[in-house]
Amino acid sequence: MVAQNTEKMPWVEKYRPRFTKDMAFPTAKVGRQKVDLIEDLKKFVISFFKEKEKLNEVNRQIRAHNRTHEEKEYQEEKKLPLDKAAVLLEGPPGIGKTTIAYALANDLNMEVIETNASDTRTKGALESKLRETTKSRGIMDFIVQSKKKLILVDEIDGLYGVTDRGAVPTILSLIENTQFPIIMCSNDYKQNLQSLYNKIKRYEVNSLPDEEVLKITRKIIVKENISGISEKELNLIIEKNEGDLRGVINDLQGVSQGSLNKNTKELILNLNRDSTKEIFSLIKYLFQNVNTLKEARNVTNKSDVDYNFLYKWINENLTSYIRLNSEIANAYDNLSLADEIFGRIRKNQYWSLLPYFYDLFAGGVVLSRKHRTPDESFHRIMFPRFTSTGFFSLSANERLVVEKIQKKYKVSDIEAVQDFIPFLKLLSGTSRKQLQELSDWFEFDVNEKKLLK
Amino acid sequence: MLSESPVWRIKYLPITLNEICGRKDIKERLKGLINDRNFPHLLFVGSKSIGKTTIADLFSKAFLGRFYDANSKIVYANVPLTNEETKQARLESYISTNKIGSLAGKKITTPAFIRVKIKPFVQLKVLGDVPFKILIVKDFDSLGSNQQAFRRLMEIYGTNCRMILITTKVSKIIDPIMSRCQVFLISQVNYHSFEELISTIAEKEALKIDKDTIRTLYEITAGTLSNAIDLLQICSISGNNIDVDKLYENFSNSKNDMIKSLLIMCFKGDFRKARELSRKIQSSYKFTSQEMFQIMLNELAKLPFSTYSRMKLINLLAEADFRAIDGRDTDIQISNLLAKICQFSEVL
Repeated sequence: MVAQNTEKMPWVEKYRPRFTKDMAFPTAKVGRQKVDLIEDLKKFVISFFKEKEKLNEVNRQIRAHNRTHEEKEYQEEKKLPLDKAAVLLEGPPGIGKTTIAYALANDLNMEVIETNASDTRTKGALESKLRETTKSRGIMDFIVQSKKKLILVDEIDGLYGVTDRGAVPTILSLIENTQFPIIMCSNDYKQNLQSLYNKIKRYEVNSLPDEEVLKITRKIIVKENISGISEKELNLIIEKNEGDLRGVINDLQGVSQGSLNKNTKELILNLNRDSTKEIFSLIKYLFQNVNTLKEARNVTNKSDVDYNFLYKWINENLTSYIRLNSEIANAYDNLSLADEIFGRIRKNQYWSLLPYFYDLFAGGVVLSRKHRTPDESFHRIMFPRFTSTGFFSLSANERLVVEKIQKKYKVSDIEAVQDFIPFLKLLSGTSRKQLQELSDWFEFDVNEKKLLK
Repeated sequence: MLSESPVWRIKYLPITLNEICGRKDIKERLKGLINDRNFPHLLFVGSKSIGKTTIADLFSKAFLGRFYDANSKIVYANVPLTNEETKQARLESYISTNKIGSLAGKKITTPAFIRVKIKPFVQLKVLGDVPFKILIVKDFDSLGSNQQAFRRLMEIYGTNCRMILITTKVSKIIDPIMSRCQVFLISQVNYHSFEELISTIAEKEALKIDKDTIRTLYEITAGTLSNAIDLLQICSISGNNIDVDKLYENFSNSKNDMIKSLLIMCFKGDFRKARELSRKIQSSYKFTSQEMFQIMLNELAKLPFSTYSRMKLINLLAEADFRAIDGRDTDIQISNLLAKICQFSEVL
């Protein structure tokens, strides 16, 4: 590594551990059992090559057998069981999943072939990139003993096609034919990858404990000679990143590099990566601390929460802070006007109306309250539970019920929902027998029966 | 199969044109059309749920005979397209530049509804030994300006497919459509046939019901058969004797009742509970805010108020409804009205 390069590198890359011994050890579990992740992975890689060697020997004999025999006496070539060929690491971002793979490869003197969602997004690209390495060994390998390889399929949940199941067969066939061990990384549990989860070992990597993060951060602070950062600020950064070491290092670099004025520094410190949490604190702040229109404007201007959501959150939480009917009416007068204005903006592109929208839904609502209840700080902020689109749409379960009804009785969707299903509810409410008869005749299953109750 | 249904309104659904309750003149006219083996486009007009669709369906069944399944279709005009259908419409809206013809590379501007639901059916050739196909379009008025697209469709594909358009609001049908159709006014069932039908049902289900009760049933359900039969079934659960008291006891128009109780909750000044209830109504009945305000207006007329407060309430309602036209969030708009009524209730 050239010295002048390190100056410009992001610290995350600069301080990425090269060997497993330098790492902050993340804990992991398989199913419910805690495991030593690094030891396990090492074992996995080493045993893969052992098994593969044995298997290659067997396959060579099979091929020799096939060459000398008739077609019907051919024997299938044996394949490695899937769970011996690949593992999946799953965990929140920034805790070192990718780093483990690289460090492991360095430990064992291997080469990493990496694919990630940013450069290989499609099935085809993934196949073409990995085909040579997975299916056969390069021609040079017979002449020169090259480095062994480790395949890292990063960000598997961001791979295009995961959402519609198209990618799973590709990944599976990749694992089946591989010549090298595969480590896959993913952020969340994905329903569509279920069939993959069943076949390979899945490590749930936990986020790093704060002390561990603090230790590493202090090391960097010493190395980079950072002064102007107080203990409190450091704690704030670590706390808000929730074990995301990469986030901490990035924030650290952001705060300490260059000449920042106080405001920007504050901004970086307060900028929360988790938007739901931000809305929570924002709503709380809005209702508890804001007393003037100027303050309300300040809040809405500073936040980067999507205003599309924000006013729905206000709608949901308004009643827990505003109690008097006259004040509620006032608040709703402003909120509904804001909603109307927003509708017109979206419909006719009257973006010049946007300032009114902001003032009405934030200041207009909060300031319509004259009396405050003393127990304000105890209110729970609620998630918008009810979202209405204004268009007629059925939930999946309702759609099933309506379709089953339409098989037997010709009604439109709207008639069924507004007229026929209420009657069925009434009828089935009278006795169990009725309910049973009805659901037998319409062939409702258990879930659909619930809708009639 | 229908006759085994536990729901009486399905069990006693007419199966042939002859079984339709009352309305002899219409049946005669329709039978005439069947004998001629030809008819123009039809427009069925009549009030809500009196059997327009059933008549149209049975008529096309009688007309098409055993080719009914392949050659007829019912389209509900007021049901919006599902996501897949809109996707399909969008896919088909461009004609590829690879194709030969004057339309190549152009965008089709036909409304998605017509393209997805109507055109594929009317363009297909007749199957079997019948003169043409029959397309039934229900709630035709809710198509609004898309009605215009039907004008040419009815002419171009008229020989291949005849349409039966069904509507409750004849004033909303545009003139060009009216002039292309023969109008059928579907009347309500008269009392005589109503009594006959109810008596037969009562006989089959072993119910005891006298003439006065049938008269009351006719009055409270305003002659709509499906509601009357529903009510009869609900009453029959608690015993085979049916009298007037029982009818009134069980008669409820559940959606209107719920909205009524919503209003009353508001007059008591409990905004939070009212909002919970309004959300419940919205999610179970899928009302748009407009429909909800409409029912509120009707219910408001039934509640006892002084002229001043009634006018004031209507004023609030109108204001809220007006705002909701451009509003994006139904819940906020309805909550707005509820909050205003709650506030007003303190003055009362």
